[in-house]
Amino acid sequence: MRDVIVIGAGAGGPVVAKELAARGLDILLLEAGPRHDQPREQWTHFENDANNPLTGFFRLGPADRSKPAWYREWPQNSFVWQLSGIGGTTQHFYGNYPRAYPGVFNDYSGADAGNYDRAHQFPFGYAEMVPYFEWVEATAPVMTAAMGTKEEVFFRGCESLGLPVQTTKTTREPSYRPQENAILQPGGNAGRTTDTNLLQYPRATGCTMCGFCFQGCMEPVNAPRNQFAKRSTDNSYVPMALTADVWAEHGKPVELIADAYVTQIHAEDRGGTLTATGVTWRDNATGHKRREDAQVVVMAGGCTENPRLWFNSGLPNPNDWVGRGYTDHFFDWLIGVMDHDTGSSKGPGSSARLDFPGYGGLENVGLPPALQAFSATLSDSGIRGEYDNGRGQPGTWDGPAGRLIGPELKDLLLNGVNRLLNVLVITDDDVEADNRVTLSSFPADENGPVARVQFQHRQRTMRTIRNREFMANKAAELLRGTGAKSVYRIDWAPLILHVQSSMRMGESPDNSVLDATAESRAVKRLFIADNSALPNAVGGPNPSLTTQALATRTAEKIFQRYFDGDPWVHSEAPTVSTDPRISVRLGELGL
Amino acid sequence: MTLDSSLDRRTFLARIGLLGAAVGTGGLVPANATAQTVNPLPDLVALLRPVLAELARDTLNGLTAFVFPGPDEYSAAQGTPRDEPGAAEAKTTEFMIAALDNFVPFPDRLAQPIAAAVATGTADSGIPLPGIEQLPQETATLDDALGALLENDATIPLSLSIAGMLNLVATQVNPAAVNGAFLSPFARLSYTDKAQVFQRIEQANSDLVAMLDAEFPEPSKDAVSGLLKFVGGALLEFVAYGSLTEWAVLTEDKRLTARPVGWDLTGYLPDGPVEGWDDFKGYYQGRREVHD
Repeated sequence: MRDVIVIGAGAGGPVVAKELAARGLDILLLEAGPRHDQPREQWTHFENDANNPLTGFFRLGPADRSKPAWYREWPQNSFVWQLSGIGGTTQHFYGNYPRAYPGVFNDYSGADAGNYDRAHQFPFGYAEMVPYFEWVEATAPVMTAAMGTKEEVFFRGCESLGLPVQTTKTTREPSYRPQENAILQPGGNAGRTTDTNLLQYPRATGCTMCGFCFQGCMEPVNAPRNQFAKRSTDNSYVPMALTADVWAEHGKPVELIADAYVTQIHAEDRGGTLTATGVTWRDNATGHKRREDAQVVVMAGGCTENPRLWFNSGLPNPNDWVGRGYTDHFFDWLIGVMDHDTGSSKGPGSSARLDFPGYGGLENVGLPPALQAFSATLSDSGIRGEYDNGRGQPGTWDGPAGRLIGPELKDLLLNGVNRLLNVLVITDDDVEADNRVTLSSFPADENGPVARVQFQHRQRTMRTIRNREFMANKAAELLRGTGAKSVYRIDWAPLILHVQSSMRMGESPDNSVLDATAESRAVKRLFIADNSALPNAVGGPNPSLTTQALATRTAEKIFQRYFDGDPWVHSEAPTVSTDPRISVRLGELGL
Repeated sequence: MTLDSSLDRRTFLARIGLLGAAVGTGGLVPANATAQTVNPLPDLVALLRPVLAELARDTLNGLTAFVFPGPDEYSAAQGTPRDEPGAAEAKTTEFMIAALDNFVPFPDRLAQPIAAAVATGTADSGIPLPGIEQLPQETATLDDALGALLENDATIPLSLSIAGMLNLVATQVNPAAVNGAFLSPFARLSYTDKAQVFQRIEQANSDLVAMLDAEFPEPSKDAVSGLLKFVGGALLEFVAYGSLTEWAVLTEDKRLTARPVGWDLTGYLPDGPVEGWDDFKGYYQGRREVHD
C-alpha cells in the first residue's frame, strides 16, 4: 500500500510527487514512456531523430523505438503533439512560464471582465494563486530571458505597435516583454561562443543558445542533470523527487517506474462513496501487468490520456464532462520573410512575447528547417492560390491565408531559415463541450480502446474566433513593424500542443469533473494534477507555470485532507531545483 | 459493389494505376499466366508485389515533387521545375515509404478496408477514361491477383493504399491521367491538378467517403470522413517535414554521412551541429528580473 500513486511524469505529475515526497510520503510515480537518463547517449540534436512522431525519441510510444508509436484518432486535419517519457511534453517545450491572466479567476472585477470566458473561470481567486506561482517560480527557477537576434527583431516589431513594456510578473494590460522562462540564463561562455570546448560546464552555465529546445535540453555539456538550462521536469522536478531525502528534512525519495502504462484505476464503494484504491499498469517491454494500491491516486497523463484512462477504467461520468471542454489556444502562425538575419534557429525557442489580456497573446518562435517546413504546411485553408476550404482569410498579411506548397514553400525556405521570423498566435479560447476526448471506435491497442480527439475547429465560439482574428492581425502588424518584406498567415489546422481543461475543475458541478481542490467529484481520493485539471485556457499564457502552481496547491490539499498534514507554501521557503545537494546525489545515483 | 464487365475491371484497374504499372515495369505478368491450371495465384501475387511497390514509389515521387519540387522529372512533369535540389535529392519518397510501411501504427483492421475500398469502389463512378482501349487485356488475371492480395495479405503496405487513393482521385480530377509518362496517374498530373486531388481528399469528397464507408466495419464508418481530412493534411505536412530533415544521411549510430539537402537549402548549421551559438544580445532595456 503506497501513500500516493501518481500516473504520468509530465509537467504536472512530478510536481505532486516532489512536493509530497518532501513531506515524507511513500510515492510511486509511473510513466508510460521512456526514461532518458543518459541523454548524451540517447538523444541527438537532429530533428528527425528527435521529433519524428513515429520514430523519434520524442514521440508517443513505448521506450523501445523499434516498436510502433501509439496511434490516436484525430477525426480532422490536426496534429496532437503528445509525448511519452519522463518529462512529458516539457521535454520539447520552450520553458515559457508566464502567469495566467487575472481575468480568468473568479475574483476578477476589472473593466474588461466581460472579455473572458466567465462561464468557466477558476473556482478561486488570483490572490490565492499568487503564492503558488511564486513557489514554482522559485523552484524551477523562472528568470527573465536574455535576447538573441530574433528577440531584437521581434521587439522592433513590438515597439512599432505603441504598447508598453510589462515589467511585472502579473499581466494587467496589453504589453510586450521578454519571456519569463524556466531556463537558466547564459553564464560564463554560454551565448558567447560556438566553440564546443569552451561550452563545457562549468566554463559555460545555463543556456548556450544552441537552438535545440525542441530536441531536448542537455546543455551545457557535462553539467549535472539538474543544472541543464531548460527546466523541463526531467531536469527539475523529477531529480528533486528522486533525491527528496537530501534536500528536504523529512523527505523520502519517490520510486519512479518508466515504460509502465496504467490501464486501470481501481475504485470501490466505501460506505456509499466511490473511492479510488489503486492502479494496474502494464510493462511495455514484457507485457506483464502489475497492481498496487494507494491511499490516494493522482492522474497526470495529460489532456488526452486522462479521459481515456477514466473511460477504460469504467469510472462514473455523471454530468458527461469527462473529456469535454478541451482547450488548445486555437493556435495560428504567421511567418515574416526578412532580408536580414533573424537568428531564428538559434537560442531558446521563444524569449519574447506580447500579451493582450482578453484576447490572447503572441510569441516569437525560432525553428530548425524541418519544423519550419511543417509549420508552413499545417493549414485549414488549403493550398494558397489553389483552394481554400472556404477559408483563406484575407487580412493585413499578404494574399489569402493558407499553406505554402511547392514553389512557394521552396522560395520561403530558400530565403534562409535564419531570415524568417515566426509569430505564434495564442488565442484565449473558450471552453466548449464539443471539443473533447472520447473512446475511438477504431481498434484498441495493447492498453485498451484508444482516445479520439475531436475539435470542432470551424465552429468555435464567436469570442474565440474574434480573439484569433484580432491576434493574427496584431501579429501581421508586428511583422510589418520589423520590416518584413512579406508576411504569410498559415491559418493553422488545430496543432494541439498547449492543452488544457479536458478534466476541468470548476465552480459548478454541472460542467466540471473536479472540485476546487482538484479532487474528482465522482470518485474520492482521486485527484488530477496536470493541464487537464485547469478550469479554462488560462487566458492564453503558456500553461505550464499555472499547471505546476495548481499542482502544488493540489499537493497541499491531498496532504491536508488525507494525511492530516499542514500546508507549507505560506510558511516555508522553497528549495531551488538546481540545488547542489541534488546534483551530488544524482551523481551518486548514476543519473 | 460488383464488377460486372471486363471494361469495368479494366476501368477500375486503370484508375488505381495497376495496368499502367504492369506495362511500365516491362510486363511482369507472364503471357501464359492465365493458362496455368495449378494454383496460379500465389505466383501472380509474388509477381505483383514489386509492380505494386513500384507503383507506390512512382506515386510518392509525384507527391514529394508536388510539395518540394526540384530538378527531377516529376517536378518538370507537373510544370514546376526548379534548379536547386528538392525532395528527390532529399530522398523524401524513401522517407515516406519507410514511415508508411514500417512505422505508422495503423491497425490492419483499418488498412485493409482502405485498400479494399480503393480496389473495388470505382468501377461505376461514370467518368469516361480516354485511352482505355490501349491498355492490355490481362484484366481478369490482374484483377484476380489483386483480389487475392487483398484477401490473403494481412500486411498490405500502407504506401500502396495511399498511392491507390491518390491515383484514384487523380483519374477523377483528370481522366486523361490514366495514360502517359510514369506509372502513376497522380504523377502525371499538373501542379494545379495535384492540388485538386488534395482538395477532394481534404474536403472528404462524398464519393470517396461513400467508397470507404462501404468497406469499413462497424462501428468505424462514421470516422471515415475524419480520417480523410486527417490524411489529406498529414501527407503534405509529413512530406514537407521529411524533405528538410537529416533522415537520408544519418547512420544508425547517429553520424552524418553527408550534409542534409535541407540544411544547404536553408543555410541551417553552416558548420554542422554545435552545442551553442554566440547569439547573446543582452537583456531588453537592461532588465534582468521583474516583480509585482
